[in-house]
Amino acid sequence: MVTVTVNVNGEPRTASVPPETTLLRLLREQFNLTGAKLGCDVGDCGACTVMVDGKSVNSCLMLAGQADGRDVLTIEGLATLERLHPLQEAFEQLGSLQCGFCGPGILMSAKALLDENPDPSEQDIRDALAGNLCRCTGYIKMIEAIQGVARADGARPAPKSA
Amino acid sequence: MKAFEVVAARDARHAVALLAEHTPTAKVKVIAGGTDLLADLKFASASHAPDVVVDISRAEDLRTIAVTGGGLSIGALVTHTEIMASPAIREMFPALVDAAHTIGAVQTRNLGTLGGNLVTAVPSVDSGPTLVALDAQVTVLGPGGERRMPLAEFFVGPRRTALKPDELLVEILIPTENLGKPACFLKFGLRKGQALALVNVAASFWVDAKTQTFRAPRVALGAVAPKVIHATSAEAYLEGRAIAPEAMAEAGRLAVGDAKPISDFRASAEYRKHLIAVLTRRALEGAYDVWQKKQSPAGRAR
Repeated sequence: MVTVTVNVNGEPRTASVPPETTLLRLLREQFNLTGAKLGCDVGDCGACTVMVDGKSVNSCLMLAGQADGRDVLTIEGLATLERLHPLQEAFEQLGSLQCGFCGPGILMSAKALLDENPDPSEQDIRDALAGNLCRCTGYIKMIEAIQGVARADGARPAPKSA
Repeated sequence: MKAFEVVAARDARHAVALLAEHTPTAKVKVIAGGTDLLADLKFASASHAPDVVVDISRAEDLRTIAVTGGGLSIGALVTHTEIMASPAIREMFPALVDAAHTIGAVQTRNLGTLGGNLVTAVPSVDSGPTLVALDAQVTVLGPGGERRMPLAEFFVGPRRTALKPDELLVEILIPTENLGKPACFLKFGLRKGQALALVNVAASFWVDAKTQTFRAPRVALGAVAPKVIHATSAEAYLEGRAIAPEAMAEAGRLAVGDAKPISDFRASAEYRKHLIAVLTRRALEGAYDVWQKKQSPAGRAR
């Protein structure tokens, strides 16, 4: 067994797991964070996407021990009790998800994109979602939602420089 | 997945010490980004599965990109995303950035490493052709120290490399004489995203400015032989020849003869041969474009 401590959604969590445990299983089975989904389990579908130290990764392809001491952000860390994340609001308003299975992964990919590139082109968004398979909604409404959030962000007054 | 023990390496030397310790008595695998290894192990038969996995993901000494006395040195643990973001690589080798961009998707590029991509050594390895076309060398660290060999010889066959069980790939080196050598990588897959290459091609050459001829031309082909290969007859044909569209097209035709493509569910051998000719010509044109842009950057802006 290995003891792993991960800073999940801003809170340190510790568990003892067999060494071959993936980050995805650690999150789902030890921390009861079932937002990230087990889809293909080989890095094709992106349903397990979470952010580790600010980068989106397939949590099914990372050993839990490799995340030891790192910051992990999952879909559960996006909304607060009071308010959805702007991406979640935009997806809700535009009906960007139907069955929703791919949703947590898509939203984490979108969050990772906007964190790095607040003003993405449509091609940038398509590239960012290439590792997330959606088989019912299709991608158009997702792209529109992400564009909407990016634009709303850009419309905000720029922070005053010191 | 079958249970295994994980031992974490602090740095490259520690990793090699761990390999030396465990390989005599156990089946050992190295994990870096995990994108190939874990995907593979989830379907591996028990006989093929490792007992011990050496985790090198925190070996920070393998994570550097630097111009050294020997050339451009890329640590084995550098991710595809880091290649795409590296100012030095973007400046000297946009073809390497293009190649990295075609690998997997954002999530796999954030995890997956250059060293891991090369060690997996599938014939369609997308980081292979450009590096082979740039005469890249690899540095391998073992119990007896380092040895270096051309990447083209490091690849032995499908999923086979010259790496011994107790050795670690630590560095990819593009030699000094090829720094900034114009190059172009092209990949043809069945989709834009997350596709395996039906054919991938890289071309690189210097332009003799006085005579407008090809100097040290290289054409490397992936997915059309058991490993990444040099299209040697195309390279021999181009050497010293005047740069012209017809020469590039003829090199494409010759490259077809250098390859041994197979038919599978993705494409027929015939179709792959067609792609080799077209992509080789276009990659040569692309490398020439890179050269021309470097000659008159101001001219492009006007």
